Amino acid sequence: MTPLVRLEAVSMRFATESNPEHAVFGDINLSISAGERVALIGRNGSGKSTLLRVMARIFAPSAGAVHWAPGVSVSMLSLGLGFRPDLTGRDNAMLSCLLLGLTRKEAKASVEQIAAFCEIGTFFDEPVRTYSAGMRARLGFGSALMNRSQVILIDETLSVGDTFFRDKARAALQKELTEDRAVVLVTHAEAQIKSLCTSAVFLGEGAVISAGDPRAVLSEYAAHYSEATGS
Amino acid sequence: MTFSQIITLVDTLARFHLKGEARQYLLGYLWWIMEPLLYVAVFYIVFEKLLQNRQPEFLYFLMVGKLTFIWFSKSINQAANSLEANKGLMAQLNLRKEIPALAVIQQGFYRQFVVFGFLLCFLVLNGYAVTAVWWWLIPLILIQALLTIGAGLLAALLVCVQLDFRLLIQLGTVFLLFMSGIFWDLNAIADEGVRHWLMVLNPLATLIDAYRQVLMLGAAPNVDSLGWVLAESLLLLFLALFAYHHLQYWIARKVVSR
Repeated sequence: MTPLVRLEAVSMRFATESNPEHAVFGDINLSISAGERVALIGRNGSGKSTLLRVMARIFAPSAGAVHWAPGVSVSMLSLGLGFRPDLTGRDNAMLSCLLLGLTRKEAKASVEQIAAFCEIGTFFDEPVRTYSAGMRARLGFGSALMNRSQVILIDETLSVGDTFFRDKARAALQKELTEDRAVVLVTHAEAQIKSLCTSAVFLGEGAVISAGDPRAVLSEYAAHYSEATGS
Repeated sequence: MTFSQIITLVDTLARFHLKGEARQYLLGYLWWIMEPLLYVAVFYIVFEKLLQNRQPEFLYFLMVGKLTFIWFSKSINQAANSLEANKGLMAQLNLRKEIPALAVIQQGFYRQFVVFGFLLCFLVLNGYAVTAVWWWLIPLILIQALLTIGAGLLAALLVCVQLDFRLLIQLGTVFLLFMSGIFWDLNAIADEGVRHWLMVLNPLATLIDAYRQVLMLGAAPNVDSLGWVLAESLLLLFLALFAYHHLQYWIARKVVSR
């Protein structure tokens, strides 16, 4: 099967105040095919978010190459993309859909779906600054689900709202993850990795330390840092 | 994203931002007119009442100059901050980097549409005749729009390169305020060479003079001078689009990692 995204010897360097050539990671080889759900794990600062941004065409790699299958769309799934507190939930949902690349007509139709999904009633037409954190998260998740990309990159917790809404959100996401799509998920939630992901990649010390079966990678991850801390 | 989707996004961002901004203030959309008029009032009090300015019909002269200048200066200063202000979006989305600055400039177009309407009504109510020469306003506004887009995109890019440019741009617009003949008449410069170079180097001065020719004197503006301004505006726009085309990834890295 042709991969949707393939990273070939990808390296990334940033200029920081103390180091003009700070290496985030180097020589990363990775391929993501349709139907795959890949967990990306690693400590803070290991370059997980940067790697997602390279895949999402936000950053160009410092070295190496990224190959996208012809016509494939890749984007980050972001809660509250471009949200402005002074705008209503409806306006923010519309804006979020347009930012995701939907046409005005598609966005208008999607706004009604978002309203139905996030279940915040008449608050949907109130400014977002009047929302509780839970209501904002519901609106953010509902809007993010309108992401139609074939490869979805998730870099934040999807545990939003109360238990009932969390279950609904998880079910909605599962429904969206059809066989023709792929997901790369940055998470440390073991249960989520074991139940959702088909493979895992452990990123550390600027390289891929292990990749493959999620359970094996999680064990490797735990062992690696228990050795490092001597516990 | 197709060109039409980019246009829709820019326009929606602009309209929604204006809506959100109006919600923050008690007087809401009234500020679109009140803010520029308050500037005019301050200048009028200082130059006409305190300094006894001898420019004939100074209030109208000042209004035409200041109300068109504010459109440019406010758009440039807001566009200069647009990439930094959208850092979160840049980190999450492969967005064309021209979009934040264009959305801010589009907000300025909407505000200025209302301001121009007010200005024209005010002039007519105070005895200025509407003549066929007023059709010249259309090319004048279009040229100023091109100039604003080109300069605004470049201002955003410069601030992305180095934040210090934000202060220099603010200072630069104050400098332009004094050099564009807002409260004094460029035609009062005795040395024709100096006047010529001032207008060549500062397209805003030519534009403001042209607005006054059309609105206050009922005369067509100098086509050669306007041609220069058009050429300068197109050059700025071309430079900006060329730079953005080649720096899309670099801009994202610079803004997100700052």
